[in-house]
Amino acid sequence: MMLIAGTVPMKDLPLTTGEVSADGGFLVVDGHCIPCTQGTGAMVSSALAVTDYLKLGQPQVVVAGDIGEGKGSRSIYEYLIQRVPELSPDVLALHYILPDMALMRRVCDSVDRCARRPVMVADAASMYAAKAAGLASKFDIFTPDATEVAFLADLNATHPAYISRHLFDTDITQTPELVAAAYRNKSAARLLLVKGTVDYIVDGGRILETIAEPDVPELEAIGGTGDTITGLVSAFAYAEMELHEAAIIAARANRMAGKFAQATPATRVRQIIDQFPAVFKEYLCSWSGVCIVEGGNYNG
Amino acid sequence: MAVLKRKQKTSFEGGGLVLFLDVQDAIKAEKVLKGAGYLVKLVAPPPELRKGCDLAVEINLVEQPGIERLLKQKDAAYVGVAPLKVGTSELLEIVKVTDFGDWVMVRAGNMKITFNRESGVIVNTSGGGCPDIPHLHAELIGKLLTEAPRPRDIGFTLCALMLDQALEECLALWQGGR
Repeated sequence: MMLIAGTVPMKDLPLTTGEVSADGGFLVVDGHCIPCTQGTGAMVSSALAVTDYLKLGQPQVVVAGDIGEGKGSRSIYEYLIQRVPELSPDVLALHYILPDMALMRRVCDSVDRCARRPVMVADAASMYAAKAAGLASKFDIFTPDATEVAFLADLNATHPAYISRHLFDTDITQTPELVAAAYRNKSAARLLLVKGTVDYIVDGGRILETIAEPDVPELEAIGGTGDTITGLVSAFAYAEMELHEAAIIAARANRMAGKFAQATPATRVRQIIDQFPAVFKEYLCSWSGVCIVEGGNYNG
Repeated sequence: MAVLKRKQKTSFEGGGLVLFLDVQDAIKAEKVLKGAGYLVKLVAPPPELRKGCDLAVEINLVEQPGIERLLKQKDAAYVGVAPLKVGTSELLEIVKVTDFGDWVMVRAGNMKITFNRESGVIVNTSGGGCPDIPHLHAELIGKLLTEAPRPRDIGFTLCALMLDQALEECLALWQGGR
């Protein structure tokens, strides 16, 4: 089972769990409609695009409304602390949750009690909390953007707003140095997918691949296109791809979806997500060897 | 016989300190913040961060903007907020601008706002990862830069503060370019 946890911008949504499905421009969980916009909504939607295409089990989610006050985030932390050992997911992806170092530590302790350790993915504020609490090594995949990798490289920063100016001033060509610093500081997950003009796939500090094509610079302006990469890599990991392969294909698919959508800086993330089935149909088999065959099954 | 089990004490690692000139201010602030549901605790500030009194309120640093706004609303005096970790840099105050032709993207820290160069309408926000960011995304998109709500007024986190810095720069660019 893949379990995705994160807040959504619906102030009054209580803690909600269950299998997620798509209905038009919305996600549906336990009868609640959740908008597919920047954040956990975009992340879940892209993961769902993968599981639908590959005919895998739909993602399970734990979501709660939170517009920054933290109550919904704390309810998600508590749910994970209590339930993760029993749920024992294959993949656990943590997303937009107010960073709380102590609660993140307790979540990681709960994960340690799982019968089988899940693939652990963190992005957004969950990645901030994991790094700030010194828990990065508990995670298999982080998906930082160029500024966030500078945050990982800054030994003392507990949020990207407090990174050193000289690190913020770096450009994409200096990503390898920042990545090296992040691993040196033990602030990186085993695998980093650094999202940027050039995407870097890094395993244990070694840069395995860079992806720069197709070049769609407009994607950086579109809120949620980093979230979609996280959803894709989580779902490909759930499909039992090697993690580095899942990351490479996620980065390629996201770029290709931007190209298919003819993205401009005014494009909405929903328009990018809508392109994923076409991208998978055209490229997934050649990129990964995972090919849909007659009858709707796939060969891995 | 019933087994009594001690309730697990809530642990707290905040990462930030609100600093005060005198002890009474610190006690008042703690009461205000706890009353609003924030997880905080009274602590002794380390010598290098001490501004006035020997008492500070430890906060979750990420919640700095919402906490400062609340203290001001409640007239709770404080000197400032500082990261607890020695060696942490100052809050980022620099921005970067990307020209997309008809659109301009401004980045402050981890947050970005893109607006239409001609109309001054916000067409996208991106980056960040705190729970108020998707809400602010919905609140800002489609609004004129001059009419958009300020993230520092309706957001709660450091991501919102960075988004506000980006908006400030967007306003300066757009108004300066007219």
